[in-house]
Amino acid sequence: MTFSTMLKVMSEGMLRTCGIFLLTVIGSLPLGMIVALLRKSRFAVVRGIIRVYISVIRGTPLMLQLLVWYFGPFYLFGWPIGNWRFPALIIGFVFNYAAYFAEIYRGGIESIPVGQHEAAEVLGYTKTQTFMRIILPQVIKTILPSVTNEVITLVKDTSLAFTLAYQEVFSLSKQISASQSSFMPFLIAGIFYYVANFVVAFVMERFEKAMSYYK
Amino acid sequence: MIIEMNNIRKQFDDLEVLKDISFGVDSGEVVSIIGPSGSGKSTLLRCATFLETIDGGEIIYLGEKAAHTDESGHAVYVSPGELKHFRSYYGLVFQQFNLFPHYSVLKNLTDAPIHVQHRSKEEAEETAIELLGKMGIADRADAYPYQLSGGQQQRVAIARALAMKPQILFFDEPTSALDPELTGEVLNVIRQLAEEKMTMVVVTHEMSFAKAVSNRVIFMDGGVIVEQGDPSEVFDNPKEERTKQFLRVFER
Repeated sequence: MTFSTMLKVMSEGMLRTCGIFLLTVIGSLPLGMIVALLRKSRFAVVRGIIRVYISVIRGTPLMLQLLVWYFGPFYLFGWPIGNWRFPALIIGFVFNYAAYFAEIYRGGIESIPVGQHEAAEVLGYTKTQTFMRIILPQVIKTILPSVTNEVITLVKDTSLAFTLAYQEVFSLSKQISASQSSFMPFLIAGIFYYVANFVVAFVMERFEKAMSYYK
Repeated sequence: MIIEMNNIRKQFDDLEVLKDISFGVDSGEVVSIIGPSGSGKSTLLRCATFLETIDGGEIIYLGEKAAHTDESGHAVYVSPGELKHFRSYYGLVFQQFNLFPHYSVLKNLTDAPIHVQHRSKEEAEETAIELLGKMGIADRADAYPYQLSGGQQQRVAIARALAMKPQILFFDEPTSALDPELTGEVLNVIRQLAEEKMTMVVVTHEMSFAKAVSNRVIFMDGGVIVEQGDPSEVFDNPKEERTKQFLRVFER
């Protein structure tokens, strides 16, 4: 295998890595907010379910969760496993990251002084308006650094997709390295991850700068 | 009467904070509420502005009942939708200003008029700029709250409340978070509003201000109104022993 073939195959793998990453971000950022809000629901049952969900997700390895999402439907309900690999992967990642984001959001929401809620209430804002116009913008600014951390971890966590033998860049580097007796694939994979995170850090820094117009 | 509160009772767990308090404010009146900490004066304002719910009694704005006591003795409020309508009658200025930090000064003043009262952006901005001029901070319209001094922030907060064109303005210790130098500029603004016959209720520890500006002083202690009347009466000639005792502390 020539170097350029290797690079081409692994670039395709990197595209799949980016796919997992983007779909997880798009799915888990909003889902996390829903989870955070449900955690403060006035129904005790809902709060209980959410608490158990967050606790289980945080208390077990993501790798194990991926395996459960992938094989669970087959063993539990006898559903065919067919094209389930990629959906299971994304569901696993989204539900995992949503739990972590939910905890970040919760911390952010609770950090907003009660006076902000009261000022909005006295001015006649509805509950939804108060959240969307007054609270959420301040929450986003507060939590951006923690979100950056989590997103950078996600870039690296996508490599766990190898557990389901999904052909993303990490799986490929292992395979190619074994078949070609070469160290090069690991080096390429490392550079790919590093560059990806460099971009993520750059973009997030831009966001933080954009929010720094007030204190 | 702009607001009438009758037989208000309020309890936090086992602590009775307001014990059967009644008071009303006429249009154009400036009422100061004084008293030691924990006397219930801030709670009374918070009940008047629906930030706290009363346990018993009635709250009436401009002859319309917002809350009353039913046969079982519990306070019943009108529906949340109707409460929103009552909120347009009053404004509240907080001790801690509570400006929205992510909005410019101008937006702090225009956001609620536009999105709550559905006034046009042009009209809201015109009102806002006029109010900022009155508060002496017209040049700070584009600043953000963190760029302002405490006194300026509180003046923005007063303007924000006025931008909603309320019938009555409540102040909850408006100068307690300010150092003495900045206290004066906020009190001057309130004094100016009093001259314009704005109806106001001010919970304050500024005795000389209360004496000079208000039409009526209420002295509260232990969840009841101990004494009220003309400022000169209450300050120079208090009838109740508790009032004398309280005022002596300030003379020192």
